[in-house]
This record gives sequence, C-alpha cells and structure tokens, in this order.
Amino acid sequence: MDAESAKLLAAGISMGVGSLGPAIGLGMLISKALESIARQPEVSGEIRTDMFIGIGVTEAVALYAFVIALILIFVA
Amino acid sequence: MKRRLLVGLYLVAGLVALAILAFLPGGARAQFDVLAEFELHPIIKLPSIGPVDLSINKAVIYLWITTAVLAVCAFIISRNIKPVPSRFQFVMETLYELARRSIVGAVMKSDQASWFPYIAGAFFFVLVSNLIGLVPLPFAENHQFGFYAATANLYATLALALCTFVFTHYAGIRKHGLVGYVNGWVPSSAPPVLRQLMLLIHAISEVFRLVSLSVRLFANMLAGHSILAVFFAMALIFQNYLAAVVLQAGSIIIYLFEIFIACIQAFIFAILSAVYIGGALDQEE
Repeated sequence: MDAESAKLLAAGISMGVGSLGPAIGLGMLISKALESIARQPEVSGEIRTDMFIGIGVTEAVALYAFVIALILIFVA
Repeated sequence: MKRRLLVGLYLVAGLVALAILAFLPGGARAQFDVLAEFELHPIIKLPSIGPVDLSINKAVIYLWITTAVLAVCAFIISRNIKPVPSRFQFVMETLYELARRSIVGAVMKSDQASWFPYIAGAFFFVLVSNLIGLVPLPFAENHQFGFYAATANLYATLALALCTFVFTHYAGIRKHGLVGYVNGWVPSSAPPVLRQLMLLIHAISEVFRLVSLSVRLFANMLAGHSILAVFFAMALIFQNYLAAVVLQAGSIIIYLFEIFIACIQAFIFAILSAVYIGGALDQEE
C-alpha cells in the first residue's frame, strides 16, 4: 500500500469510527432529555437549554474526527 | 373519482419520465473538487505588514457583509420602535428575547446585565454570518455565484472564540482578583499536592475550551457547505439525469437542514460563551 492510499483509508476510518461514539452519545442524551420533558413539561425550557449545551459538547467530538480526516487528506 | 384518476395519470407520467431520464446519456465528466470552494485567494492585493497579509479575500468580504447587515438592521429597528410591532420588528424582538431569556437568563446567575451585550452580539454575529453563508453571492472564482460562510474559516471562528476566552478570564479576574480566581479553579478542601495537579488539568482544559469552541463552529459550517456542494455536483459524478433530478431534490432537504444547523450553531456558540463566562463569575465553593 502506498502512502497516498493509506492516507485516504485512514481518513475514511477516522471519520467512521470517530462518529460512532458521538452518535451513541447524542442518541442517549436526546432520548433522556425528551423523557424528562415528557415527565415534567413545565421545566421543558430549562431542559432544552441544557440539552443544547450537551449536544454542542458531544457533537464536537465527531467534528474533531472530521477535521483530522481533512488534515489527513489535504495537509499530511 | 375523476381527480384521483388524473393524479394517478400524473404519477405514471412522472415515473415514466424518470425512467426515460435514467437511460439518457449524461454530459461529459467534469473534474470536481469540493474543498476548492473553500480556498482563499486575494481579491484585492494589499501590501503585507511583516507576517500579516492584509489582502482582501472572500472571507473578509463575507465578514464585511455580515457587519453591514447587522448594522443596518440595528439602525432601522432602533429608529422606529412601535408599540404594535411590524413583522420585521417582531422577528428582531423574538431573537432579542431568545438571547435575553433562554441564553443569558437561563445560564448566568449574576451580572447578567453587564455581559448580555457581548453574548447577544456574538449570537447575532454568528447567526447572521451563518445564514449569509446560505445565500449565493458572486464572490467565487471568476465572479461566479457560490456558497461561502465567514464562519467556515478557522481564523474567523478562532477570533470569536478568543474573544470569549479573553472575556472569561477578564470577568473572573475582575470579580475575584487574580489569586482568588486561580484558587477558585480547584476546591479548597483538596490536599496541596493534588491541588497543583488539578490546577494544571484545569489550565489545559481552559485551552481546550478555546479549541473546541472554534473548531465546532468551523467544522460544522465547513461540513455543511461541503455536503451541499457534493449534492449539487453529484450529477457531474454520476453522469445521469435521473440521479441529477433525485439529488437536486435531496439537496433542497439538505439546504433546509443547513438553515436549522446555522441557527443551532449560533445558539450553541452563544450559550457556551455564557456558560464559560458565568462559570468564571460564580465559581463553586
């Protein structure tokens, strides 16, 4: 395998594996948030705000993988 | 009965048209590079001062447009505020309320009034900048129309994140004093050896906040715009009219999703800024 194809493979694998964890995390986070909103609709505003903070932090992990993939393809 | 027959006829005709499209030979294969859209070439060449290149490129123009749109909106809305709001005023009031109640009001405990302007400013700037990225403007190669967002550029988002970073520590130091602020990073009940380690870890996490805040916004906008570009150009890759029709329909859905992402990212940027600044102001005991 030459260096070019190894780079492309690594980029694909980093994006795929790197988005596994955040996907599971986002699913758990949103399902729990919806559950608690259904249980206590009167605090839905606060829960939604906290949910968005959590989404932002969790999603960043997948985006690091995206940036690494870009670096692998175009910079390295 | 007659109407249902007509609908069925249209459906069959549409399917036949799609089937015919599938067998039409496509055009010539064009070379296509997604990331070429995001390369910055100087539009107006200016002399550089030391290592700082002052040339005007696409990102700078998009930042100017964002600033101009914000300034004009603020000017118009502040000149005539009516008790019964017009549509435009209603939209602006709703956004203002969102920034005031759900971002600053929900997250910060003290000193809301003095930090509201910065956080609302960051919110509106990122929001307008993201949304302008979804309007085709003639700044691509050879003055073609193209998509670009100022926030799809790491330097712009890093500058925004640096503002939050600096203001966080400024707020903390102004309220608690330098020593008090740094001491507040770790619980005072911890043993001294552990304290130093925790201080180090906290300092590293402060730097990584800067990275995550900037990279999140940048990567979201870059990923969204490249997915849009891939969908728009997929017909060139497949060389097939059926794929072109289906993928153009798909690109509309992606575009609507991008509008949603643009708003959510602005909201997340502002709310995380509020969380960081609020955390520096009200340190846990």
